[in-house]
Amino acid sequence: MLAWRANLPAGAMERFLLKRAIVLVVTLTLVSFLAFLVPWLGDADPARAIIRSRVADLALDSAAVEALRIRLGLDQPLLHQFFAWLGRVFQGDLGLSFTSRLPVADQILRAIGVSATLALSALFLALAIALPVGTLAAVHQGRRFDGIVTFIAQGFVSIPEYWLAPVLVLLFAVELGWLPSAGWSGFETLILPAAVLCLRPLAYFSQVMRASMIDVLHANYILAARSRGLGLAGALVRHGLRNGIQPVLTVFALWLAGLLGGSVVVEVIFAIPGMGRLIYSAVINNDMPMLQGSIICIVGLAIIINTAADVLYGVLNPTVTVSGDAR
Amino acid sequence: MTTLDEAPCLKVENLDISIGDAIAVARGINLEVRRGETVALVGESGSGKTVTALSLIDLLPPPLRVTRGTITICGETITEATPDALNHVRGNRVGMVFQQPSSMLDPSCRVGRQVGEALQLHKGASRGEAFERAVELLREVGIPEAPRRARSFAHQLSGGMAQRVMIAAALSSDPDLLIADEPTTALDVTVQAQILGLLERERRQRTLSILLITHDLSIVSAMADRVVVMYAGGIVEEGPVETIMRAPQHPYTKALIDCSLMREAGSGDLESIPGTIPPPNRSIPGCRFHPRCPHALARRTGSVCASSEPEATRTAEGHLVHCWAVEP
Repeated sequence: MLAWRANLPAGAMERFLLKRAIVLVVTLTLVSFLAFLVPWLGDADPARAIIRSRVADLALDSAAVEALRIRLGLDQPLLHQFFAWLGRVFQGDLGLSFTSRLPVADQILRAIGVSATLALSALFLALAIALPVGTLAAVHQGRRFDGIVTFIAQGFVSIPEYWLAPVLVLLFAVELGWLPSAGWSGFETLILPAAVLCLRPLAYFSQVMRASMIDVLHANYILAARSRGLGLAGALVRHGLRNGIQPVLTVFALWLAGLLGGSVVVEVIFAIPGMGRLIYSAVINNDMPMLQGSIICIVGLAIIINTAADVLYGVLNPTVTVSGDAR
Repeated sequence: MTTLDEAPCLKVENLDISIGDAIAVARGINLEVRRGETVALVGESGSGKTVTALSLIDLLPPPLRVTRGTITICGETITEATPDALNHVRGNRVGMVFQQPSSMLDPSCRVGRQVGEALQLHKGASRGEAFERAVELLREVGIPEAPRRARSFAHQLSGGMAQRVMIAAALSSDPDLLIADEPTTALDVTVQAQILGLLERERRQRTLSILLITHDLSIVSAMADRVVVMYAGGIVEEGPVETIMRAPQHPYTKALIDCSLMREAGSGDLESIPGTIPPPNRSIPGCRFHPRCPHALARRTGSVCASSEPEATRTAEGHLVHCWAVEP
């Protein structure tokens, strides 16, 4: 049984989730409309774009274009087309990819799984390092350890992935031969990209944790805990971490939502079949259904992750109810 | 009544507390609390009471630190103790109750767990045993529906409830000394009386020694056996409560009592002490109180008050006054 439920009025959690579900549907509808308009943004004629995307150098046969237009329903009024499309989207049918001719939904599902594995590995690695490091930096505030941590964090934020990734590949794959240079075939291929991807969130998490633990260290309840006989470390573990970690959770959710959309640079460099590379090749190949589907899925996931973060926040902090108002 | 030959529960000798090495916030503090006795440490805000209290269990926030003197609690010399020995004294031999009870409770930890924490640390209780004992303690300090309250969180408690919880936590492992730093200042008057009654009851039941830190003289006369008056980091007068309240000798103590509202206000005007307590970084030669002192001697130019610090003068048994104008 989840602890905080005892503190909620009956049905509050259900109401909260229902509200978020409505937000999800409304937002997805709006985003779908924008995604639906994408093909009309670049090329005035989607039918032309489709044919061009399939056969690059073919001189456009206007009869073929017309036939395709009628077959795809592109001659119908725009709003009519949109609702027909929206209906399919909510049934999970995102259409067929222009390039592979396979269902977009299947490919996105597979790619999101890959990106999620990579993102969660990188973020939990970052979290595992950032929590103790940030806490120690807070305890040693203003002293040498704190300065070194801040310096390194600034370095991590400034190192571009497109530089670091090839350098690590050259070092660990080419020179030392310890790890594969690219691909997606198990734990070994996960290490380098996760390491590259974790540095930036690591820097942010550790700095957020540091700031939040500095507040916690000065909190009265830590003094009270120490007056009961807990040492500083004991007081921080029993009463500090749970309070200090809350701001980190917020940042974590933001990063997770961002990274599930795929990291284009890392996925392209390491040849990882995730969302980043999927979107990258969809753009290159003018694969409109793939782009539309990706946008919708990423936005939907972001909303779901934020909802999950809010619920988790309520678990950690009993003064926050899930409706968002603090007492 | 306590016997004098018994070793005091708390003994502080010549204690100096400074910010870093330079600025003294408390100087030459001598304190003694005997077994079963309640000693009140009285003074305005800024007189160094809370800092003194925190120094007793070695929890001064840096850069504050003890620069001189010794503190002994139940035979353990705090000023020389190892960190482990200190942790053993805190919560076990000494309980601490603070001014802002609600902020003293971890907002995301169940109240009962915090109350039972000292038992887990010092008495080897398991988590479950500690929680069960915490429920009993909460009942003992007068919290209704104790089993349910033990499961609640700090924000669900009123200030008075939170202070009862803090008292239960401080008393959980049956300490010899309770340091209560302004335990009722943040509470409603009616709740104040309940909390003080609770402290008094616990003191009698457990033969507890209490160091009560307060600025409120009405509390002092109700609770204390002896009173120690602090001004600007130094002790100005100490003695049995009846003597201090009825026949105060130091001009500062007199002024404090005149200011307190329990005096029958004949004129209807409220008294106050002119001027403010000097900040620790301002050094005042002579008696620290002389710039605010109404006594004629202090008002005279070139008087001894402005040039040298007064030593303690014993006017009666156990009554010490630090003032040039007082004759032994």
